[in-house]
Amino acid sequence: MKMKIQKSRRPSVNVPKVIVCAVAIYALLVVLMYWLMGEQLHLRESRGNFEMPAAEAGTVELCQGAVVEQSFTVKIQRLQSVSVQWGTYYRPNAGTMTMELYNTLDGSLVVSESFDAAAIPEGGLTTMTLETPVETVYNVPLLLRIWSDSLPGSAASPLMSVSAREDGYSLSLNGVPTDGVLCFSVTGEDYIWTGLHYWEFAAGFGVLLILAGLLVWLRWKKGKHSYVVNALIAVKKYKFLIRQLVSRDFKTKYKRSILGVFWSFLNPLLTMAVQYVVFSSLFRFDVPHYPVYLITGIVIFNFFTEATNMALSSIVGNAGLITKVYMPKYIYPLTRVLSSLVNLVISLIPLMLVVLFSGIIPTKAYFLVIFVLLCLTVFSLGVGLLLAAAMVFFRDIQFLWGVLTMIWMYLTPIFYPESILPDNVAWVLGVNPLYYFITFARTCIMGGISPEPIVYVQCALMALGSLLVGSLIFRKSQDRFVLYL
Amino acid sequence: MSKTMIEVNDVTMRFRMNNDKILSLKEFVTTAIRGKLNYNEFTALSHVSFEVKRGETLGLIGRNGAGKSTLLKIISGILKPTEGSIAVHGNVVPMLELGSGFDFDLTGKENIFLNGAILGYDEEFLKAKYDEIVDFSELGQFIDVPIRNYSSGMLARLAFSVAAIVKPEILIVDEILSVGDAAFQEKSHKRMMDLMGGGTTVLFVSHSLEQIREMCKRVVWLDQGQIKMIGDAEEVCGAYVL
Repeated sequence: MKMKIQKSRRPSVNVPKVIVCAVAIYALLVVLMYWLMGEQLHLRESRGNFEMPAAEAGTVELCQGAVVEQSFTVKIQRLQSVSVQWGTYYRPNAGTMTMELYNTLDGSLVVSESFDAAAIPEGGLTTMTLETPVETVYNVPLLLRIWSDSLPGSAASPLMSVSAREDGYSLSLNGVPTDGVLCFSVTGEDYIWTGLHYWEFAAGFGVLLILAGLLVWLRWKKGKHSYVVNALIAVKKYKFLIRQLVSRDFKTKYKRSILGVFWSFLNPLLTMAVQYVVFSSLFRFDVPHYPVYLITGIVIFNFFTEATNMALSSIVGNAGLITKVYMPKYIYPLTRVLSSLVNLVISLIPLMLVVLFSGIIPTKAYFLVIFVLLCLTVFSLGVGLLLAAAMVFFRDIQFLWGVLTMIWMYLTPIFYPESILPDNVAWVLGVNPLYYFITFARTCIMGGISPEPIVYVQCALMALGSLLVGSLIFRKSQDRFVLYL
Repeated sequence: MSKTMIEVNDVTMRFRMNNDKILSLKEFVTTAIRGKLNYNEFTALSHVSFEVKRGETLGLIGRNGAGKSTLLKIISGILKPTEGSIAVHGNVVPMLELGSGFDFDLTGKENIFLNGAILGYDEEFLKAKYDEIVDFSELGQFIDVPIRNYSSGMLARLAFSVAAIVKPEILIVDEILSVGDAAFQEKSHKRMMDLMGGGTTVLFVSHSLEQIREMCKRVVWLDQGQIKMIGDAEEVCGAYVL
């Protein structure tokens, strides 16, 4: 079967200009990302961090002459801090406690610091922080030595876990080897290989982009059809239509309501307020800046449900048009997702208000949220295409999807901290794209820093994967839509 | 020599019709398991071939279910033929059924742009022609009123005005010429004649042989998916009546 429709008024595209623009934008983005990602581009929280074991007992009363020694090794490239947890016997103590960290390979002192015993509460921590991270202790045997000048009766005691066992760790109390592990933690950073070679990667992709551009340009010059040029023509041709449809969706959404567009603004705020009251007073989740935590999750998840639900009905709902006018059918789900995006952008205003109200100072990392919103949109578009196609053949999908999004919502840490998930359910987070998107946004908004580079790749891959699956299925089935409408 | 605008080459269109149209997943699975998923093939068009030259007005006649609408849908690209090929050289503008491209919550003005975009016009063109469209529709101040408040005659005038303002290369008209009041009917009829005189190729479906005779030179008579007769309007219409 051959199908050939030549439009005589085919819009022309200035391919060389587009390619040059694309390369220029790429170069700009590369530099911008380098600046925005800052330190997080090449440093990440070390995977070798040693978490503090749960305290079970005291060690010894750390008075003059007593010494607690814990030897250990950690795979941390840049050691930053060592903390110890203390028991006070529930009494005021006095004196000075000293923590020393030795490199037992060459016997050198890495860092030491003294703390006033009177200032330590029961279960409190003392933390030695290295102003300049130490880079020479990766996988090197280390010794943490703690002693003090307190008098008996007014000395604190470092806590320990009796049951914990770690390979290569040994604890000795006053020179006597003891089973168990001291309640201490070690944190630091690791270098990220890809981040260190950021410019090489950027240049590599840039070269690939230029080569692809040249290829497209050559094909275009020879008058051959290529996907890229066709896509550009489609964008140019249907830009106006898409804009009209998006503005239609947007205008009619609130057309006959009194508050109008203000609802886009009010909705996330009200949802957040309700959930805040419910969950902060009933469940008392211990999340810092809980309102911000909530509204970030709500805004992102609401967009996802709105976009997918609108896309779901886009083909069936426009049956009247589809059976009468020819236009590429992907336009319908696409415009629905785009009009949800307009809504999302508006709901960023209440989000920012909550952020400022909570006393968080915005940083340059806030611009990185644009990246995750882009991924989220592409992801939702992919899901939306899939649903729109499925809906034509099986109308049950609309009810099924309502249930599925509800389950999905409860499996995504929107209003609860991810730490409350039991271990046997926690794996669900790892396969939940929305969890990645929401965590990305929260890292930027609440932490004020960029996530690790790998998270960018994960988010982009999930978005593109969804788009690929969705558009393939949509493309394969779209010719049969008319027959089922 | 006039250029060929539409070539229909041995087009066959078959639909698979379930005994019952299955629309829910559960039903689909249960009938598939019971092995009752048999389809009835229905041939809407079989081996239809013809050509339409530039500036020609081709009439399509036939009983209900003869395949006229299917043929128009294939030509406008909505359906893909099961067999055969079709080549269309030019932009196709279908005259929509009343209001199918309209949003009733938007004003007449917003709908002109929306509907225009759906019909494939670009922005500059619509902006340039906007006044002309409003003038032609005779809607006056109602153009800024949401069209849910329009009467059906007003809707029809708006729809016709948007569709007919452009000089499309190929215009598809599926029985919608009787819109509005007598005066507007007169006007739209005149506009159609203008379009046809101005080199637009028109595919015209009607059950009114009178209109067909008046507007078309050539007529295709479809009967049960096949071309029963093709040729001069008078001749075909004469045979059709008999």
